Amino acid sequence: MSIFRIERGHDGPARIGRLTLDELETSTPSLAGPPQEESHWLTYSVYERSSSSDSAASMIALPTIFASHDETDTLTHKSSLVLLPSIPGSSSLGQEMAELLLSWQLGFLRERPKSVPPQHCVVRIPVGIDTVLLKEYLSQFSELGVRSASFLLNSELGSDDFSSVKLRSAIPRNWLAIALGRIDPHLLPLLIYLGFDVIDIGRAFSAAAKNVRLWQVTNEKVLEVDHQRFCSCRHCISIDDFGETARDNRLETLTGHNIDMYRQVMSESISKMHDGQLRWLVESRTHASPSMTSLLRRIDREIYEFLEEFTPTIGQGVLPLIGPESYHSPIVRRFRERLVERYAPPPHKRIVLLLPCSARKPYSDSKSHRRFSRAIENGIGRSESSIAETIITSPLGIIPRELERVYPIAQYDIPVSGDWDTEETSIAVDALVKHLAKFSDEAVVLAHVSGGYQTIVNEAESRIKQSIIYTSSGHSTGSRSSLESLTEVLQDLKSKLEIRATEQKRLQDTLRSTADFQFGKGTGSLLIPDSAHLKGKLYHMVTCQVEEVQTCSFIGSSGALSLTMDGGERIAPLDRYVVRFEGAEIKGGSIFAVGVNEADPVIRPGDEVVVVGKDNTVMAVGKSEMSGPEMCEFEKGRAVSIRHKRK
Amino acid sequence: MEDTLERIQSVIISASTKARGSSIAFRRQRNPTRPAASWITTSRIGNSTGKALSVVFSTIGCSHARGESGGCTMCSYLLDGTSVPPSAAELVEQFAAAMSKLDDEEAPLSVKLYTSGSFLDSEEFPSEAMKSVLETIAQDPRITQVVVESRPDYVTESNVSLLRSILGYRHIEIGIGLESMNERVRMLCVNKGFSSDDFEQALLTAKQQNIGVRAYVLIKPPFMTERDAILDSVLTVRQSAALWASTVSVNPVNIQRHTLVEQLWTDGLYRPPWLWTVVEVLKRGHSEIPQETNLVCDPVAAGKARGAHNCGRCDQAVIRAIRDFSLDQDPKSLEGLDCECKTDWEHVLAHEDVSLYVHSDRHEGR
Repeated sequence: MSIFRIERGHDGPARIGRLTLDELETSTPSLAGPPQEESHWLTYSVYERSSSSDSAASMIALPTIFASHDETDTLTHKSSLVLLPSIPGSSSLGQEMAELLLSWQLGFLRERPKSVPPQHCVVRIPVGIDTVLLKEYLSQFSELGVRSASFLLNSELGSDDFSSVKLRSAIPRNWLAIALGRIDPHLLPLLIYLGFDVIDIGRAFSAAAKNVRLWQVTNEKVLEVDHQRFCSCRHCISIDDFGETARDNRLETLTGHNIDMYRQVMSESISKMHDGQLRWLVESRTHASPSMTSLLRRIDREIYEFLEEFTPTIGQGVLPLIGPESYHSPIVRRFRERLVERYAPPPHKRIVLLLPCSARKPYSDSKSHRRFSRAIENGIGRSESSIAETIITSPLGIIPRELERVYPIAQYDIPVSGDWDTEETSIAVDALVKHLAKFSDEAVVLAHVSGGYQTIVNEAESRIKQSIIYTSSGHSTGSRSSLESLTEVLQDLKSKLEIRATEQKRLQDTLRSTADFQFGKGTGSLLIPDSAHLKGKLYHMVTCQVEEVQTCSFIGSSGALSLTMDGGERIAPLDRYVVRFEGAEIKGGSIFAVGVNEADPVIRPGDEVVVVGKDNTVMAVGKSEMSGPEMCEFEKGRAVSIRHKRK
Repeated sequence: MEDTLERIQSVIISASTKARGSSIAFRRQRNPTRPAASWITTSRIGNSTGKALSVVFSTIGCSHARGESGGCTMCSYLLDGTSVPPSAAELVEQFAAAMSKLDDEEAPLSVKLYTSGSFLDSEEFPSEAMKSVLETIAQDPRITQVVVESRPDYVTESNVSLLRSILGYRHIEIGIGLESMNERVRMLCVNKGFSSDDFEQALLTAKQQNIGVRAYVLIKPPFMTERDAILDSVLTVRQSAALWASTVSVNPVNIQRHTLVEQLWTDGLYRPPWLWTVVEVLKRGHSEIPQETNLVCDPVAAGKARGAHNCGRCDQAVIRAIRDFSLDQDPKSLEGLDCECKTDWEHVLAHEDVSLYVHSDRHEGR
């Protein structure tokens, strides 16, 4: 029996899984290669074409369509995955050919339901096939019980590779995805990030046969280079000069080195996945070549929805956003889009104060922002709730002060040199224009900015309705004169706009904005109504009680709200972030995907969710472990970790 | 499933037609009195060796390639032909020009009559011309062997009786491009346009006049892995020998202009066979056929990017071994060959078969 189960933990589409083939259990992502003594990977061979020692292989390829293969009876006795027949070298023959290849595989399965059990079979996805067409076929394969697909990569990083990657995003979420072909080590982090579960390392052997030593990013033709690189690996360490090494020894050494290079990169990728930093690793590999950079850009642009669905909304540790490859990463783009969709400025904001970001996060812990805060207090005193502090930053655009603890605002780290490139500038300008459009035309915009930040405000000016006052003309924003000028302008405005001392609304603003950002517009006032009693210290923990009943609490360290049962009941009628549970009772601390047939498609791993039972009442609140669509599609796996449940 | 195969075939045919494009319309008009090519080689003649004259007549070309069927996926010999059909007299003149090369040679001689199409197709090679050419040969006692080439359609009773009656006692062989005994490979990968039955029928017809058939076996048509190619060719060698083919000639694909294969090759989706593959086919083929059947190979463009090739270092030695074997039929000629690239080839055999990734020459270079 072959079972593929996806386990807890996502970092983008990357996932940890477990593939069971009878007694053999392998955790994925896994490598795959030809059988060898002590192979640390899934092994593959071809049906009745390999030596008998290969017959224990975990993947068996059936010969191509043109070879005859009527005797597939023995397959039932094997516990291997079976790669269905296709045709090599046919990718340039267009859509019709691609469709015929799928149609052939389908027919092949239908004619042999007994000798080739579909649940073991792997559909070979034709390069370049239209996604819509593919999906039509896949549902038929799914009905037969097929749960795996293989894709062909050539490491040219061109349209073929992009096609395979894009097609991978089109297969059902619970299928095993296998990457075959020529796959250079530097492609591994990307493939794992994109949710490939099994990756072919045949390239390790062919490179060795060509006297090519593979490294993480580059290749070295050991017999042609002027300077052979030093390698301390167990295979290479005894070799002084490959040119003077006997052929067999050279081959063995290079093969060993190359295989280990794949194992090393695989292990690094998995480790980074556990840290939630796989995307960073992928981005860092874009410098392997210009085509690698273009490939990732194209992926970000064309299959963003796929990447985003599996990207957690919470995270720990620093999130490095280093260069242009980060500008459109799912975390970054999602933040920008959600801010536009979900943030509504509190109605009592009359002044918008634009500030530069700080290297230290959260911003308010930085020296510069503490100075701003003092200048504001000096200027406007107890009316500071009327100021909408707005931080300009790259590549996230603009951040309202209320959301400075939200993921990834408190975590991101960018190179701070003060130089903005054109794209960063245009991203920030766009964000600023959209943000300010949410404020009344009478609001006054104070721009306490210099350098690149000032350029952004200048560029946005023509598209902004409000009047703008620059408070740090020519000087650094943290300089005494700039800060004094900010204080003075605020004092002026206070009297001109007749701003009176108002009650302190910082807690309410923060919690409501956070609620809206987390659950969508309108949830803030449901969870934190005017009658709410807020208790605690902002940025540590704030609890919200309504008539002595707690609805939620704000956790400063994560910048997120956690719901109580009462909170869940308050937002459940909006039908957002709701998981519908089919069971009668929740046993233990989690609910599993098998019990979920309906869940809000907007749910992402890490989201706070409300579990609603068949009787339409709230059964629990908790944290999602997978995306909403995954909960519905998967037959296995933990869907929600329960925080509170109905007693 | 059969329906799917038919549709796959029609996709390949239209791709092949498209690859051929308008190339035929721009065929050169050749001097109708000179053959397209002629050359002399040392060749296996019966059980000994001698000189062989090969003549490639300039004709209007192969009927299959000229027609609507798209022609074979790897062949553009048609382009060697001429756009204006030469007259019977001109064809005879072409032959006379080539024959003069044999003036100083001694028996045994062999004459191979090629047309880049079918010598026995009267539309391509008018009967008067055919008779005249054969009669010229019949008058030369040095010539003990005659080889002609034809598609099976033209291997008719009247044609084979004519060959026998004019050439008399001479050893006659008709070369037929069988390519593969696997119906799918021949019809789809090659787009050959005739069936195994057609081939067998031609063989029987020829046999009635004690005319042998020289079966041409194609090594590595497109859409096959390197290992598919070996297995298919070895099987074809064995089966055609079992059908009493007198000679089996294996022909590794070479990249000809304006063909589907050329287009696939340009796109990195095809690599001509390795010379190791050719050696393997010869070795295994030889061990599986009766001693009296000759197994020969004269690889076109061998060692070049467009022909069967290895890594570039060992190519010449391997080609020499293949040629030696073709002459002496001694498997020892194929022994002791080695090179570092053999490991790469072995890897390709295993990996291509599993992954269906085409190990083209695009990446590391040759």
